[in-house]
Amino acid sequence: MHDDKAGVWQGTLALMILKTLETLGPLHGYGIARRIEQTSGDRLNVNYGTLYPALLKLEQEGYVAAEWGMSDNNRRAKFYTLTRAGRKQVERETRDWERTTAILARFLAPRENA
Amino acid sequence: MSTLRAWIRRLAGTVAASRHEREIADEIASHLQLHVDDNLRAGMTPAEARRQALLKFGGVEAVKEEYRDRARFTLLTRLVQDVRFAARLLRKAPAFSVTAIVTVALAVGVNAAIFTVLNAAAVQSLPLPESSRLATVAFRAEGGPRRGVAGMKSMLSYAEFQVVREQAPVFERVTAFAPFYGATLGGGEPRPVSVTLASCEYFEVLRVRPAQGRTFAPRDCDRGGEPTAVISDGLWRSAFAADPAIVGRTIALNRHSFLVIGVAEPGFTGTQVLAEDVFVPLVFLKQIARESSLLDSPDVSWLYVIGRLRDGVTLGAARVNLDIVAAGLTMRSPAGRIVHLDASRSTLAGLPEIRSIVLGVGGAIVIAVTLVLLIACANVANLLLARAGARRKEIAVRLALGAGRGRLVQQLMTESLLLAVIGGAAGCLAGLWASAAGVRFALAHLPPGISPVIFDPRPDGRVALYAFALTTMTAVAFGLVPALQATRGARLEFRESTTTDRRGARRLQSVLVTVQVAVSMILLLSAGLLARGLYRANTLDPGIAVDAVSVVEYDLRSAGYTAEAAAAFQRRLQERLRALPGVRAVAEAGGAPLSDQHRETRFTLAGSERSVMIEFSQVDAAYFDVIGVPVVRGRVFTPADLASGRALIVTESTARRLWPGRDPLAQSLVLDGADRPVVGVTADAQLSRLGQADSPYVFLPAGPESQAAMRMLVAAAPGALSARALRDAVSGLDPQLAISVTRLSDNLELWRAPSRILSAMAAVLALLALTLACTGVFGTVAYAVSQRVREIGIRVALGAAHQDVLRLIVRQGMRPVLVGIAFGVAGAAAVSSVFVNMLFGLSQHDPLSFVLVPGALFAIALAACYIPARRALRVEPTLTLRSE
Repeated sequence: MHDDKAGVWQGTLALMILKTLETLGPLHGYGIARRIEQTSGDRLNVNYGTLYPALLKLEQEGYVAAEWGMSDNNRRAKFYTLTRAGRKQVERETRDWERTTAILARFLAPRENA
Repeated sequence: MSTLRAWIRRLAGTVAASRHEREIADEIASHLQLHVDDNLRAGMTPAEARRQALLKFGGVEAVKEEYRDRARFTLLTRLVQDVRFAARLLRKAPAFSVTAIVTVALAVGVNAAIFTVLNAAAVQSLPLPESSRLATVAFRAEGGPRRGVAGMKSMLSYAEFQVVREQAPVFERVTAFAPFYGATLGGGEPRPVSVTLASCEYFEVLRVRPAQGRTFAPRDCDRGGEPTAVISDGLWRSAFAADPAIVGRTIALNRHSFLVIGVAEPGFTGTQVLAEDVFVPLVFLKQIARESSLLDSPDVSWLYVIGRLRDGVTLGAARVNLDIVAAGLTMRSPAGRIVHLDASRSTLAGLPEIRSIVLGVGGAIVIAVTLVLLIACANVANLLLARAGARRKEIAVRLALGAGRGRLVQQLMTESLLLAVIGGAAGCLAGLWASAAGVRFALAHLPPGISPVIFDPRPDGRVALYAFALTTMTAVAFGLVPALQATRGARLEFRESTTTDRRGARRLQSVLVTVQVAVSMILLLSAGLLARGLYRANTLDPGIAVDAVSVVEYDLRSAGYTAEAAAAFQRRLQERLRALPGVRAVAEAGGAPLSDQHRETRFTLAGSERSVMIEFSQVDAAYFDVIGVPVVRGRVFTPADLASGRALIVTESTARRLWPGRDPLAQSLVLDGADRPVVGVTADAQLSRLGQADSPYVFLPAGPESQAAMRMLVAAAPGALSARALRDAVSGLDPQLAISVTRLSDNLELWRAPSRILSAMAAVLALLALTLACTGVFGTVAYAVSQRVREIGIRVALGAAHQDVLRLIVRQGMRPVLVGIAFGVAGAAAVSSVFVNMLFGLSQHDPLSFVLVPGALFAIALAACYIPARRALRVEPTLTLRSE
């Protein structure tokens, strides 16, 4: 891909959401989207809308809990919180992700050596 | 875990769809608001802020759609949507919905009811503990010499049972038994009971516990031991007033003492349809059936054999085991015979012979009922077709908006299924009630003098499955074709936007009406014939004096009388009976007229090789006077005839048939090598079958050897004689005889009862069919008329006479009806031979039925055509034209 802004895989989006909530605590959808964009150094191009089906899926799986509340500037918004199961899921997924990247790294490394 | 939770949430989301819809809309609004706030803070104009926020968000509707898909199950949602839509439509057309639902309910209900009964009789295991492991062993011989049968062919002999018991390890235990109906239980008032002779394992195999005392122990089954008996709870209550000290008491069965060792648990009445009262070890056969040598006859079928399969042993394994046993039996049996043994699940109709009868009769009924179901389906299909016509515009719009044809068919089928499921559920409930009520009705209308029948059909999973399959099939049967029809070519017609007549649908409707009329014609004609038969049975003059003749019966043979003792008894009894006040005449006979006691044997015509099977009865001289059949030529039996047995009396038609054109008094018949001359000829009478006076019948003299088998016929002035007096006359001579006193007219009931049950059933079915067929005809014509309102309007406006238009519509409506009637009459003529026995001499092509019934159906169909046609004509022509 020539564009230097990458798209987001579905699976990784979920992990990003969970990690964001773990770091920042309860947050609304807009906040999560902004945070993901900022963390990526604006290199990720997220259509904010795609976030919501992913959030719904996480909610159905019981990793996040949602509740309506008030934002800093007094706007009604739905706030997402990491549940205990969600916390475990972050650990598990982080581990899996690290393992996957390590394996991929090994696949990619020998070519440079050879 | 989390996946399961997600599924449950999605399922919940499917149900609470509207809440989710609001939720996501709110959340998106809130998200955009937050973004707009940020953008404003960054210094954008309000319009630009909003635009950027929307751009960054992406397609709102697309997100909603994705969210929706995620929130619930799409297929399920569609189904819920379809069902809701269908329910709304059905509510909007209540007349249609109710008609369709009631139609399906009736048809499925009747069908399920019949199936419940069949299932209980021939499929369900016996109502005993762990009865699925009970297997009935059936015997079949191929080739070899003729085998004696005392019961049914597929029963076993005692020796064969013993072989099975020893060599079939697949069975935990095997038992053999034989019910004997009509033994006599002695006491203050002797009464007939049914005694089941059973091998020692009987109660263990059936897992029946004693409520009191014990069941058989090995010592009870020793030949020469003390005879013991287990009685049923019912008998304990009815004959012994629930005597708490019954165990240890001695009772008399056929004048032999039996020690009561136990009372079976309440509700147990044996394994047969007729209730069994007493259970006695098989070795005491001689005490119950006096001259019986069955126990020692190795080649007579007389025992039911039931085995309890070991845990985990299948019927298939049992069959393999029995094959080996059968091979052993083949070796021992007479040359040329191959023995087969089979095992099948023990049901009420356990043996192959009974099962095939039950399934045969049941199958015929199921076919009749399925015909009704077919009419019902045709009817609903018709209604749906009519409605599809009315909904053509809606369907065309939906197709034009991009709905797939498959999706539309799915929607239409959902409507059919919904109708069928509601109807089917209602039908099942009705069927449950109907099967119970039907059995009660049939049992209540059994002829008098038949032992109590134990039959209580209970529905089970199989019935539920059957009803479910039936319902689904019904939905497909009446829904699929109209659904396909409705969605085909609807696109084209939308453009034309008219209500042009559709040929395909019309033709289909005509075919449906033809089928309906034909089927209901068959059912109606059958019912009509049966009803005529019943009427005839009720009004027929049997040609004999049935009123004021009593039949007194008792069993001297099982009471141990010798021929001489019996002759003396009968002589003294006749004297006593004649001395009773009001008695006109007393006769003795081997079989009462119109009873099931007639015997049949082969007579040879003297002086020729010709021999014929003729029914006969042994009677004395007074018999003809008592039953009011005149002797038209010759004389009645003389004392010399009665002593020698060398005489015959025949009926007129017998004489005509055997010796056409010759003097019957000069003829004789040969029986058992002895020449028996004809001494008299009687008028024809319905002696053995109601409705048949001309079947051959011969009277033999009641000789001294046959006295033990005779019963007394007593003719008295009406109302002069009580049953009590007759009973006392017998018990005065021998207090230990079980006596039955019936009226000769009761025998007519024997013939009327089955006819009544059958015609009631046929009438119900036929009425159902008629109603359905009429609705069908009415619906079709009404639909056709509604399609042609404009045409009718134009015709009338152009000056066509009402009469002509009416004739046109009615003629078109009646065409399929007439074709249907023709097919129906032909069909009925073909099937009516099945119940020719129920017609009592009526021709199976009885002209009255075959004219009246089609005539009635024609008239009803005409009315069904006329009413909607009439209604269409009443509409103002200008009005119909303007509405288009």
